[in-house]
Amino acid sequence: MTDTPLSTAPLLLILPLIGFAFTAAFGRRLGKRAHIVPLVAIAAVWVLAMGLAIPALLGDPALGGEGSSLTLFTWIASGDLIFNVGIHVDGLTGALLLVVTSVGALVHLYSVGYMSHDGSYWRFFAYLNLFMFSMLLLVLADNLLVVFAAWELVGLSSYLLIGFWYTKTAPGLAAKKAFITNRVGDVGFALGLMGLVVVFGSLDIHTVLAGVEAGALVGPAATVIALLIFCGAVGKSAQFPLHVWLPDAMEGPTPVSALIHAATMVNAGVYLVARMSPLFAASHDAMLIVAAIGIFTAIFAASIAFTQTDIKRVLAFSTLSQLGYMFAALGVGAWIPAIFHLITHGFFKGLLFLGSGSVIHAVNGEQEMTKMGGLWRKIPITYATMLIGTVAIAGLPPLAGFFSKDEILGEAFKFGYTWVWFVGMIVAAMTAFYMFRLMGLTFWGKSRVHDESHVHESPWTMTLPLIILAVPSIAIGAALGFPFADGVLVHALEPIFHPASEMLGHEHEAWTLFGIDGLLMLASVTVASIGTVVGVRLFRSDNNEFLGRVTKRLQPLYDGSRNRWYFDDLNDLVFVRFGRKVANALWWFDRRVVDGTVNGVATLTSSGGRGLRQIQTGRVQNYALGIAFGLVAIAAAYLVIAG
Amino acid sequence: MPLPPTIPFIGITWADALFLLLGGVVLGSATLVVLGRDIIRNGLMLILTLGALAGIYVVLGASIVAGAQVLVYIGAISVLILFAIMLTQSKSASAQLNFQTQALPAALASALIGILLAVALGATQWGSTVYNDTPDPAGTATAAAVLFGPWLLAFEVASVLILAAVIGGIYLAMKPAESEEIEA
Amino acid sequence: MSMIAGHLEPYLVLSSLLFSIGAFGFLARRNAISMLMSIEVMLNAVNLAALAFGAFMPTLAGQGVAFALLIIAVAAAEATVGLAIVIAIYRNRKTPLVDEYDAMRQ
Repeated sequence: MTDTPLSTAPLLLILPLIGFAFTAAFGRRLGKRAHIVPLVAIAAVWVLAMGLAIPALLGDPALGGEGSSLTLFTWIASGDLIFNVGIHVDGLTGALLLVVTSVGALVHLYSVGYMSHDGSYWRFFAYLNLFMFSMLLLVLADNLLVVFAAWELVGLSSYLLIGFWYTKTAPGLAAKKAFITNRVGDVGFALGLMGLVVVFGSLDIHTVLAGVEAGALVGPAATVIALLIFCGAVGKSAQFPLHVWLPDAMEGPTPVSALIHAATMVNAGVYLVARMSPLFAASHDAMLIVAAIGIFTAIFAASIAFTQTDIKRVLAFSTLSQLGYMFAALGVGAWIPAIFHLITHGFFKGLLFLGSGSVIHAVNGEQEMTKMGGLWRKIPITYATMLIGTVAIAGLPPLAGFFSKDEILGEAFKFGYTWVWFVGMIVAAMTAFYMFRLMGLTFWGKSRVHDESHVHESPWTMTLPLIILAVPSIAIGAALGFPFADGVLVHALEPIFHPASEMLGHEHEAWTLFGIDGLLMLASVTVASIGTVVGVRLFRSDNNEFLGRVTKRLQPLYDGSRNRWYFDDLNDLVFVRFGRKVANALWWFDRRVVDGTVNGVATLTSSGGRGLRQIQTGRVQNYALGIAFGLVAIAAAYLVIAG
Repeated sequence: MPLPPTIPFIGITWADALFLLLGGVVLGSATLVVLGRDIIRNGLMLILTLGALAGIYVVLGASIVAGAQVLVYIGAISVLILFAIMLTQSKSASAQLNFQTQALPAALASALIGILLAVALGATQWGSTVYNDTPDPAGTATAAAVLFGPWLLAFEVASVLILAAVIGGIYLAMKPAESEEIEA
Repeated sequence: MSMIAGHLEPYLVLSSLLFSIGAFGFLARRNAISMLMSIEVMLNAVNLAALAFGAFMPTLAGQGVAFALLIIAVAAAEATVGLAIVIAIYRNRKTPLVDEYDAMRQ
């Protein structure tokens, strides 16, 4: 039945949901075979998603351009407020589907090997499918209220997966931190949605965007609403100041880190801003703030990655930094490069995380790079694929990262945001440096591993995804981005971002190799190369003495970077300690004043009663005296008043 | 020899002198009733008070009320009070305090009541007739016509009240009956 | 010309003073029978006032007398019952002093 091009789209949501329900209900009994249903479900989802994404990206008349919508049912109908649940697929959706389902499917396969020793094997796959459902719902939805619901579901799945090993303290705390920090951002998001309802009376994405493009939302109102919605993105995509949860989220199993915190969930914020691009384009101030926060997070996180020794944490800060790049791109109006970087980053960061998982598996659970070294001979497949990922992220041509990063920096410069371009250049150098530092400490030099004889390569279920991911890490940049400014992705996403670009007054210029574009490309390649060379030279072999002297020279900077610039301590001071003081003060107030008043009233009543009881002497003459005095008083009053 | 119109040497009419004398006796003996120490003496002072009041009633021209006062109040009620006093005498009567702790406030209250009443009653314009000598109102026949005319119901109810009081009084003052006597 | 006995007001003043004396006795004495005697004093004060009005106000021609007679009847009934009660309580409590009747005290 192909009445509409989206007839198979609902299956994208139903299949993971069935996978989750089935595994949750029967997983325990299936033991080691619990992965079969979820894996098959996701494989099917991948096939269907590619069936929608590839035509969308290649400019299929039905799915490309403006895309198609399919309304499923009416969720809320309250007077004039109607919220429908529906699916919308266009080029942007296609791009997201590509990353989400591909990395998602590979992570499912990888987890079969990685989690094989875990007792709660079935629970992991159930949660993975739940997460896939939530993320797909978020990307496919055509109503912002459904997006919000999916947003929360994704946060829930993240919480469940970070805290998967909940019997230990650290994962539990990290899961809570993630959820709470997300929630802070969600408050802004919800307020922004309410603002949209007030202005447009609906949260249907088409309605809202059409209204914004028609000029219904301008000035301070546009800025406020855009920034409120950006709050949600800051929380979900871990930008400063809500970045604190992402490094701690590494307590979760590595497949989780790869899927959720590199390739999919953290991209939700980027997707949201991109989807609402006309709204942001309507407010120059909001765009400026987005760009500023983005690029600041980029350099902030990169500076911390310099000194981290836990392999996963280096990658976590790297993710923060790259997300910063994406938001910086969105902020300057470079919509298409931002999405491009989202795609390339999804693949090579997913590769790097899964690779790190393989390394950790090889050295029997050790995550500190100070206890690794010299592994390149022992785990060659992991080494080779991770090297590919590193070159990709460093932005060296012709791998994927080069294309996307270069476009971001190029458009930032051309649209006049020189400061963004400049900081971005520095971050590119830093990225190359710390990534090769990671490679050096992990794979090169002498081995510092505790028990060398047990170092072994991972099973095929883990290395196959690595090899598969290496392919797009190499090629997808060229596939989607070449020729420059005229590639597949540009054609696919141009119609979607055209209204926003028009509102910003950005023209689509031709790409000139021997003009500004060529120069910019040369600059970014140079900068990346410098970072690479420095990193390789310093960490190629055990260079402890030189590094030790440099560190001592820059001790305060080193310590600051090591401690994540004390931002977590600041949060602790302001919110935890101070908050506890405020709570104690309020508790005192509640006890003394509020309860005191209530108890006081009770005490007053009872002591008043006790006092008044004295009047009941039981003697008639006392009562009679009272009557006599009363008589005197009334008579006197009457005489005075009436006479 | 007819009485001179006013008392010689003093110059007030006989009626006034009579009123002042009887009024003084009433107030004086009433004061002794409430302030006296020995309760039997108080009872006797009560009799004196009631008697003097009967005299004033005569001055007012209500001789039948004076008669009823003497017969009922002095002859029956005061005697009854003296009987009750003697029945409830306790051995330590002379050693006890006679006044409550609230005597002072009581004095204050009653003084205020007295003053208020006197001022209010005295100062109001009643539109009353003024007599030359003693009041000379309509006679007993008018009173009887009122009592057995419009106020007949009150008269009958009063008689029922007295009956009820007598029965109640007898019952209350009875000694509790022995249980054996009833069964026998 | 009677300056006092022929006017209404002196009788009313006398009645008020007598009433206040009786009120004091009622409020201040400890013995129950003293209280009853004070009540009789008060009732007589009222009687006096009623008769005075009856004598001096032409519209109240015979009513003062009739009123006074009824008050005497009521006073008699009340004294009877009151004294019977006092005797009954005396039998129970062995004391005629009212401030020792405090079974209803809190």
